[in-house]
Amino acid sequence: MRLYLGSYLSWYVPQRLSRLEIPLAGPISLMELLAQLKLPPAEISIAAVNGILVPLQDTQVSDGDLVEFHPPVGGG
Amino acid sequence: MSYGTRGRILRVDLTQASIRIEHFDEAFYRLYPGGKALAGYLLLRELAPGTDALAPENLLVIANGLLTGAPISASTRFTVAARSPLTGAYGESEAGGFWGPELKMAGFDAIVVSGRAAQPTYLSIRDDNIELRDARELWGREPEEVQARIRAELGDKQVRVLQIGIGGENLVRYAALTNELRHFNGRTGMGAVMGSKNLKAIAVRGTGRYVDAVHDAKPIAALGRTLGKRVKEHPQAWDMQVKGTPGLLTVLNAAGMLPTRNFREGVFEGVANLSWETYEKDLLSARRTCYACAIRCKREVKVDDRYQVGDTYGGPEYETVEGFGGNCGVDDLQAVAKANELCNRYTLDTISTSSTIAFAMECFEHGLIGLKETGGLDLRFGNAEAMLKAIDLIARRVGIGDLLAQGSKRAAQVIGGDAPRFAMQVKGQELPMHDPRGKVGVGLGYAIGELGADHLYAAHDTMFANPDSVAFKGAIPLDVAALPVRELGGAKARNYAILENWNSFGNAVGFCYFGPAPRSFIQVDEVLSLVRSATGWDMELADLLRIGERAINLARAFNVLNGFSRHDDVLPERLYQPLESGPLAGAGISKEDFQQTIDELYRLKGWDPQTTAPTRARLRELEIEWVADLLGV
Repeated sequence: MRLYLGSYLSWYVPQRLSRLEIPLAGPISLMELLAQLKLPPAEISIAAVNGILVPLQDTQVSDGDLVEFHPPVGGG
Repeated sequence: MSYGTRGRILRVDLTQASIRIEHFDEAFYRLYPGGKALAGYLLLRELAPGTDALAPENLLVIANGLLTGAPISASTRFTVAARSPLTGAYGESEAGGFWGPELKMAGFDAIVVSGRAAQPTYLSIRDDNIELRDARELWGREPEEVQARIRAELGDKQVRVLQIGIGGENLVRYAALTNELRHFNGRTGMGAVMGSKNLKAIAVRGTGRYVDAVHDAKPIAALGRTLGKRVKEHPQAWDMQVKGTPGLLTVLNAAGMLPTRNFREGVFEGVANLSWETYEKDLLSARRTCYACAIRCKREVKVDDRYQVGDTYGGPEYETVEGFGGNCGVDDLQAVAKANELCNRYTLDTISTSSTIAFAMECFEHGLIGLKETGGLDLRFGNAEAMLKAIDLIARRVGIGDLLAQGSKRAAQVIGGDAPRFAMQVKGQELPMHDPRGKVGVGLGYAIGELGADHLYAAHDTMFANPDSVAFKGAIPLDVAALPVRELGGAKARNYAILENWNSFGNAVGFCYFGPAPRSFIQVDEVLSLVRSATGWDMELADLLRIGERAINLARAFNVLNGFSRHDDVLPERLYQPLESGPLAGAGISKEDFQQTIDELYRLKGWDPQTTAPTRARLRELEIEWVADLLGV
C-alpha cells in the first residue's frame, strides 16, 4: 500500500517522510492503519483512497491502494 | 519607563523636505500599541476622507508592532498602511524580514510619510541621523542593485533597505514593497503609494538594544530560547520549517478547494507538478528565515533549466505557486518560480498579479479580449509564456499590461460585457488562493474585511472542525467553538469575530500567523506573558482582543467615511455557484445563509447593518469615542 501524508502529518512517522510504502498482508481499516502508524485521528481532516474522499470510520484498504491523509491547514 | 515601544514617531514631509520627531505617551500606546492599531489611528485622525490614494495628500504609514524586534520567533512584522489605490478603502499590508526590528533598534515606532518629493528620493535613518537623499540614480533600477548602491553610499553593509521596484514607480495599483529583497508588504498597493511620493527606499540602521525598549527583557529572552528548541517537537512549526507554505497545495487539492482556472474548479489536474515534492526536487536551494525566528519557513530557489531563476528574490510561497499555477492553469513549477521572481523584482503583489492575469485569461477564453487587445499575446489558461509576458507588460504599463495594472475590477469595467463576472475581487482587491466554498469563514473575511479580499483576517474554519485537534485545543482559551467547515450561522459568526480580533491584535504587535493560536507554536498564555513582560501592563486576554477589535473599528470607520457600506461587503457571484468538479463538486455558498451570517456579524461587532458604522456605544467600550464624533453617530 502506498501512503501519502500531507503537510505536518509526516512529522508523526519516524522517517518524517510524506510518501511511504507499507506492505499489507490483508485488508485493514483506516483506523487500524492510523493506530499502527501512531497517527492521531484528530489530526486527520481528509482521508482519500485512490483519489476518492472517504470517511475515516468504516473504510477498508488493501495492498495496492493509494491512501492519503491530510491535516487541517489554514492560510499563510 | 519602557513598554515595548520607543515612544517616537518620525514625520517626513516630502514636499517640504522636512523631518521631525513626535513623541507619544504611555496612555496612547495602551490604546494603539503599534502596527495595524497605530496605523489605523494615524490614518483615521489625519487623512481627509476622499483623498486620492495616489495624490501627495495621501499618508504612507509604516508602523512596527509592539513586539517587533523581540528575540522571539514569529514576531518580526511591521505594517504599511495608506488609503489603497486598488480599493479606495483602508489599505494595509504586513511583512516580516529584518527591516522592522532594525527600525525599532533605531528608536522609532512608526514613520509617517506625507507629500511628494520633487525628484526621486530615499530616506536614510541611522539612529537619530535622518536625512532625505537623492535617488535619481536609483529610480528604474532593480532592488538588488538599489540595495547594494544604498549600502555602498552610506558605507554600511548592515543597513536594511525597504524599497519599491518599477511596479511601484509605475503606479501599478497592486505594487508591493520589499525588504532584504525577500520579504514583501504585498497587498493593497502600498508600493504604488510609495511610488506616487517619489520615495524609492527607506534605509535603516539602528544601534539601540531591544532590552532598553521593554519593561522586563529576561522572560522574553527565556521564551525565545524555549521556542528555538520547540520547533522540532511541534508538528506545524516543523512542517513550516521543512516544507514551508508550498506544502499546503496538495492538501487543498485533496479537499477539492484548490482555486483552479479563476475559481471555476477546485481540483487541478497538474497538481503533482506543483507539489512540494517537485518544489524540493526542482527548485529548492536553501531555507531562510526572518529576524530571530526559529521556524525558518522562507524558501530560496534556483533554477537553470527550462527557465533561469536566480536565488536573489526568495522562493514562491503557497499563494504564488497556486496563483500562477492552478489558478492560471499552468502546471510548470519552473514557470511559476520565474513568475515569482519577476513579481519580486518588479515589486508586484503576486496574489493580485496572478489573479488579475487569471481574470484576463477567462476574458480571453470568452472572446471579450482578443489578440488585438493583448498585442498578440495568446492569453489562454495554461500558457506559461503568455503569463510571464503579461507580468512584464503590467510592471511596465505597456499594452494590455496598462489595463491589467489597474486591477481586475477596473479592467473589467473597461472591457465590459461579462467581464465583471470574471473579476474575482472584493472592494477591488483580488481573492487569495483559498476557496470559501470549502471553508465559509474565509468567505466572511473576504466579504467583510476592510482591505477587500484577504485570507488572513481570521484563522480558517478547517482549524476548528475537530475539538481534539492540536489546532483547536491551542485556541481553547479564545473561547471558540468546534464547527463544521461549511456551516454558516450565528456560531460561525461568533468564531469569526473572535478570531478576527485575535489576528488583528497580532497585526498590532507584529506577530506572524505561524506563531500564535491556532497554530499555537506560541501558546495563548505565552502571548499574554510576552505582552506583560514587554509593557509592564497588567493586561488580560480580553484586553489583547480589545486591542484587535479597536484596530478593526478604526479601519472600518475609515472605510465608512470614504463611502463604503454594506453594499461593499459582498462576495463575487461565482462563489455562490457550485464548484464544477472535484470532491466539492456541486458545493456553493447559500447566499441567504451568508447574508444572515453577515448580519449576525454586524450585530456582534456593534455595527449598523446598512452603513456598517460602529455605534457610539461600541466605540465607547473600545475607548475610542472620538471616532463616533468623526462618524456623526
